Amino acid sequence: MSGFTLSAVFVLTLLKLLLENIPQSMHRAGDSLLELNSTDGVANGVTTVVVYFRGFDTLGEIAVLFIASLGIGLMLSQNKRCTIKAQSNFMLHTAAKLLFPIITLYGIYVMVYGHLSPGGGFQGGVIIASGVLLLLVSHRDFEVPHSFIVALETFAGVCYVLIGLIGLFTLDVFLGNFLPHDISQMGLLMSGGIIPIIYIIVGIKVGSEMSMIAQNLIKRGDDV
Amino acid sequence: MFEYLNDSTTIKYIVTIGSMALFFVGLFGLLSQKHFIKIFISIATMETALFLFFIGNMFNKNFTAPIISEGFTDIAKMNDPIPHALILTAIVIGMAVLALGVSMSIEYYKLTGNTDIDKMNEMRH
Repeated sequence: MSGFTLSAVFVLTLLKLLLENIPQSMHRAGDSLLELNSTDGVANGVTTVVVYFRGFDTLGEIAVLFIASLGIGLMLSQNKRCTIKAQSNFMLHTAAKLLFPIITLYGIYVMVYGHLSPGGGFQGGVIIASGVLLLLVSHRDFEVPHSFIVALETFAGVCYVLIGLIGLFTLDVFLGNFLPHDISQMGLLMSGGIIPIIYIIVGIKVGSEMSMIAQNLIKRGDDV
Repeated sequence: MFEYLNDSTTIKYIVTIGSMALFFVGLFGLLSQKHFIKIFISIATMETALFLFFIGNMFNKNFTAPIISEGFTDIAKMNDPIPHALILTAIVIGMAVLALGVSMSIEYYKLTGNTDIDKMNEMRH
């Protein structure tokens, strides 16, 4: 009982501290970034922060995702695909085939328009991986071709670093925006220089890694 | 009847109290459960509470989304893009950690047939 009282006192104290210190008018660090944002010709402020101002951080982030995917592949790759005895039902089978192209198209849309509307590479990649997961659940023979995924991941990772290095050599900044990014082009699909290209690359990488994680987690040994 | 809910301070109070409650639900699960998968679910719940806390406290209902488009060009009237970007990073990292942990527990269960953390004593001798 005393432990319960102690934790209740702790929780209430923390809550009191948090509620007393709610900022009414906070100095927003994003304001200066939003002003800088318009110089790059990208409409979406979040995209500019994620891909351009924190571009190196995003490179590390997809490296973390790659390492997680690598670890899961190392641990679970020896297992066979789980053998579901029953064929999946007709509705699921047909609906998965019908829905997969639509889901993929929507994911690609979210990826390509990441600099103009809410969305972007991470979201679009996860949407594509959810379509792959639907196929994996419904078709018991379906497998993501491994060499294709390896090729996509390698392509995306190499392109990200290459674009960063080209920026380093031309503008002396890693991931510098060396393509034309005129402010008058803001709102068009071809605007923002390298930022939409990098977000599409991030989308390809996230989509392939998530598909591989889903496939490895769905595989099981025979004894489980 | 519910006009007070439109007040910005009330929204922040609700977000703070609610995310604290969710966080401590996750902490309770983390400390009291013995099953691997339940522990990972608790960690994911705590992460979600933190995301809600960040996003909800920086939300201002009078401001627009940080996307410059026709009719929405006033930068001072936009929400802050920094918490969105930070939480986007945090969600991806949390997902990676969760997937790796779940696959590790699958492999451990296959090797030992054990899901209880109190019985994990393979390294003891």
